[in-house]
Amino acid sequence: MGMSATTEPTELLSPSLLAKLERLELVSRKVFKGRMKGERRSKRKGESVEFADFRNYVPGDDLRLIDWNLYARLDQLFLKLFQEEQDLHIYALIDCSESMNFSEPSKLHVAKQLAAAIGYIGLCRADRVSVQALGSQGRSAPVLRGRGGLWQLLQYVDSIESGDNLSLHDGIKDFSLRNSGTGVVVLISDLMDKDGFDSALRMLIGRRMDVYVMHVLSPEEIDPPLQGDRRLIDSEDGDETEITINAFVLKKYQETLESFIGSIKSFCSRRSISYLPVRTDQGVEDVMTRYLRERGVVR
Amino acid sequence: MSWISMLTPVQWALFSLIPAGIILLYFLKLRREPVQIPSTFLWARTVEDLHVNSLFQRIRKNLLLFLQLLAILLAAFALLSPGFRGERSNFGRTIYLIDTSASMMADDVDDAENRFEAARKQIRERIDTMPSSDTAMLITFSDRSEVMQSYTGDRAKLRDALNRVQLTNRTTDIYGALKAADGLANPRRSSTMGDTADIQVADAMNADLVIYSDGGFPDVSEFNVGNLAPTYIRIGSDDVENVGIVAFTADRNIETPDEVKAYGTVVNYGKLAQSFTLSLYVNGQWRDSTGVQLDPGEESGISFPLTGQEDAASIEIRLENEDDLPYQDALPLDNVAYAGLRPMRTVSVLLITEGNRPMEVGMSTANAKKMSIVDVQPTSYLDSEEYAARASSGLDDLIVYDRCQPKDMPATNTFFIGALPSNEWEWTSDPGQVLLIDSDRTHPLMRYLELYSLLIFEGRSVKGPEGTQELLASDSGAVLSLAPREGFQDLVLAFEIISTDDEGNLLTNTNWFSERSWPVFLLNVLRHLAGAADESAAGTFRPGETVRLRVASELPEVDIARGSGTPETVMTGSNGFIQFVDTDAPGVYQVTSSEGDEQELVEMFCINLFSSLESNVKPRQNFDLGYEAIQAEGTTERRMEYWRWLLLIVLLVLAGEWWLYNHRIA
Repeated sequence: MGMSATTEPTELLSPSLLAKLERLELVSRKVFKGRMKGERRSKRKGESVEFADFRNYVPGDDLRLIDWNLYARLDQLFLKLFQEEQDLHIYALIDCSESMNFSEPSKLHVAKQLAAAIGYIGLCRADRVSVQALGSQGRSAPVLRGRGGLWQLLQYVDSIESGDNLSLHDGIKDFSLRNSGTGVVVLISDLMDKDGFDSALRMLIGRRMDVYVMHVLSPEEIDPPLQGDRRLIDSEDGDETEITINAFVLKKYQETLESFIGSIKSFCSRRSISYLPVRTDQGVEDVMTRYLRERGVVR
Repeated sequence: MSWISMLTPVQWALFSLIPAGIILLYFLKLRREPVQIPSTFLWARTVEDLHVNSLFQRIRKNLLLFLQLLAILLAAFALLSPGFRGERSNFGRTIYLIDTSASMMADDVDDAENRFEAARKQIRERIDTMPSSDTAMLITFSDRSEVMQSYTGDRAKLRDALNRVQLTNRTTDIYGALKAADGLANPRRSSTMGDTADIQVADAMNADLVIYSDGGFPDVSEFNVGNLAPTYIRIGSDDVENVGIVAFTADRNIETPDEVKAYGTVVNYGKLAQSFTLSLYVNGQWRDSTGVQLDPGEESGISFPLTGQEDAASIEIRLENEDDLPYQDALPLDNVAYAGLRPMRTVSVLLITEGNRPMEVGMSTANAKKMSIVDVQPTSYLDSEEYAARASSGLDDLIVYDRCQPKDMPATNTFFIGALPSNEWEWTSDPGQVLLIDSDRTHPLMRYLELYSLLIFEGRSVKGPEGTQELLASDSGAVLSLAPREGFQDLVLAFEIISTDDEGNLLTNTNWFSERSWPVFLLNVLRHLAGAADESAAGTFRPGETVRLRVASELPEVDIARGSGTPETVMTGSNGFIQFVDTDAPGVYQVTSSEGDEQELVEMFCINLFSSLESNVKPRQNFDLGYEAIQAEGTTERRMEYWRWLLLIVLLVLAGEWWLYNHRIA
C-alpha cells in the first residue's frame, strides 16, 4: 500500500498515517448483516475458520459443511457451523457547509482527513466504505471495498468543496433516502445549525445506524480572538449580529459554547451515539491513532 | 488646594452635556467592525443571554467609554483650575496699588513692554488666581490717586478696571492712594481717642495692601498702616541706565530783551558713564549743540545763549546720540525738555479822564495796540457800580486816573496823572513851573526816554509812602514816583498833561506829547506797569498739573494747543483766569485768541517732567510708610497651577483610548 500512498494525494493522509491506519479497525457496537463476506464476524453463521455451532443436516445443505468426524462417531449428520465473517457498511458523512470552511487548517479539511482515514480503515478491513459529502456532492460518492479503492476514495474526498449550505437535517435526509442499508455512520460536522442538530441525528438512529458524531471545532470557535465593537456576519446565511465584545461577553460565549457541547453530549449519550469532539489543531494522526483509540472507537 | 472655576454655571451646565452625549452616542453610533465568522449561531445565543442585563454591563465593561469619560472628567478638573498658592491673602481682601507715574515707563523689565505692563501683568495673574471668596480693590497712583475698582469679588470687573488703567507722564505721590486704601481698613473715630463714649461704628476691614511700584516717591511719614498689611512689589531692575534733564528754562535779558539765555541741568542716574549731545531747537529749528559727558551720578549745568530772539518762541533741548538720533535710555520722557519765551501780554487798561487826547493817541499806536486794550471812561464813571466791580475785582491791569481820584484804591496797578492816589501821598510844593533835572534811566519805565527838553507849565512835587521810587526829579522834587501798594504799584505823575482852566477850556500843560519820548513812555508803562512784558520765561508745569493762567479779561475764550496739535477752546473766567487740565503730554502749549481771522498768541506755558524722583529710575529697595520700613518682596509668589498637567493627562488618556480602540478593531 505504500505505493498508493506515494501516488495518491498526500495532503489528506500521510504515508505513515496510512501505515498506522492499516492496523486499525472500526469498532461497531452493533453487529450488522452484510452482503458479502468480510473480515468481520456477523450474526450469520457460515464459512469461516472460526467454529460456531453444530446443527442437524437438512437436505439441501452444502455437503462440504458436514462434519464427517461426528458422523463417524455418532452416525448422524451434523453440519459444522462456522462464524461467518461479514463485511460492514461504513459511511463517513462530511458536512461541507460554508461554516466548515474556516480556520487554518479549515474544519472542512480536517473533516476530509478524518473521513479519508476512517474510510481507509474500512477499506483495509474489506468493509464497504462510502465517504460522502452532505448535499448534492454526496450523490457522486463511490461505494468502495478493498484497499484498492483508496485512490478513488481520496480522489472523491479531495474534490469535496464547501458551499452546500443546506441544513444538517436536509443533508441527512438526503443521505437516508439514497442509502437504505444499515451500518456505521460517522458524521463529521461542526453541528452549527440554527435548526438544531437533533432531528438529523434522530433520523440516523431511526434507521438503526451505529452513529458516531465527530464534532469539529476550530480553536477560534472555542476561544474567539475577537475584541471591541463588532458586527458579526454569518458565513452561511449572512445573518448579522452586532456585539460589543469584552471579557464579560467572552465569558458568556464560553458558557454558551459549553452548554451547547453539553447539550450535544447528553443528547448523544441518551441515544448511544458516540460523541467525539475534535479540535482542528489537534492533528489527524493524533486523533486517529490515539484519541479515537482511547475512546474505543477504533482498535 | 484651591479651585477657581473658569466657567459660569451656564457653561458648566453645557459642559455636563458632553459626558451625557458621549454615553448616548455610544449606543446610537457605534462603529462596529464587520467580521465574518463561521456561524453566528453561538454568538446569537450569547447575545440573547446578554440582553437580559446588557445595558449596565456594556457600560461597566467598556474600557473605551470609561477612558472617554475619564478624559472629560479630567478636563472638568482642569477647568476648575486647581492650584496651590504659597502665599494666600490672609484677610480675603486685597488692595492693589499700581504706580502709573512716568518712571514706570522704564523698559528695564524682561517680559513686558515696560515696568507698568509688568506690574499690570502681575496684578492680572493675581486677579486670575484669586479665590472666589476673596475681594480686591484696585487703586492707581501717580501725582494723584484714583480708585479704579472698589472692593469686589468679581474678577471680570477687576480685570476690566485693570485694563482701563493707563500709564501717565506724571510724578508720583502715593499718599492719596494710601489714604483711599486706609479709609476702609482703618475706620476713624469721630472724636478723640480715649473718649470711651465714642463708639467705633464701622468694623475695621483688614486687608493686604500690595504696592506695585518702583518706589519713585517720597517716603510717607504721616501714615499709619493700622489694619493694612503692606507688601511692596518692586518693579524694575537695578541695572538701569537713564540720563534725564531735570531743569530747563529760557529767559530774556531784561536790559536787552532780544538776548535770550537757555539753561538747564542734566543728570546721569545710571551706573555707567554716558556721553551724548544736547541740542537746542527754537521753534523746531536746530540752533545749537553741545557735547556732554557724565560720570555715574554726575550732574551738569548747560547754557545756550541766543540772540535776536525778540518774538515769542518755543525752545526745546534734546538728548541726542552721535548720529543726531534721539538718545536711548530707560526713560525717554526726560530726554527732552521744553521752555517758552512769552509774547508780550495783552493788557487791559482803563483810562478815566475828562478828555486827554495825547494820552488816547499815545495808547493807540501800532505797538501799544499790540499789547493793550484801552477803555476810556469819563470821570463820572467812577461813581458807577460797574467801575466799583471792575476796581475791586482787579479786572484791569492798569487804571489811569487823569486828574481824578477814586474813593478806594483799586485792586490793580494805577497811574495817576496830576492827582494823588491816597492820603499816604502828599504834594511837597506849590503849583508852579518845574524844571526837570534828573531821571532814573535804569528803571524799565524810564528806559529810552530823553526828557530834558520837556516844558512843563505847572507842576508840583510829590512824596509817596515808604518805599517810593523817584523816577523823575525836578528842581522842586520828584515829579514821577512809583510806590508799592499791597502787591500793586502806583505811579504818580505830578503834572497834568492836559489841564482845564476855570472856564472849562482845555489847555496843554506840557509839550511832552509832542516829544518822541511820549509814546515810548506810554509803551514802557504798558509793558512794565500794566505788566505786558512781565516774566519773559513761560511758566513750566509738571504733567497732569492743572495750569492756571491769567489772560486779558476781555478775551471771552482762548485756544490752547500743544505744539501744532489740535487746539482746545477754553472759556476765560471772570478775572481773566483760565484753567487747563489736559496737560499730560510734555511740550510747549500756546494760548491764542482769535479776533476775527487773526490768531494772536497771548500766553505760553510748558509741561516738563523735571522730577529727579522720576528720572532716577533705579527702583528703591525699601521705603518708609509711617513707622514701618517696607522692604521690597520682588514678585509675589505665584499660584501653582495644575490645569496644564491635567490637560496633558487628558491628552494621554485620549491617546491611550485611541490606541486601545485601534488595537481592538485591528
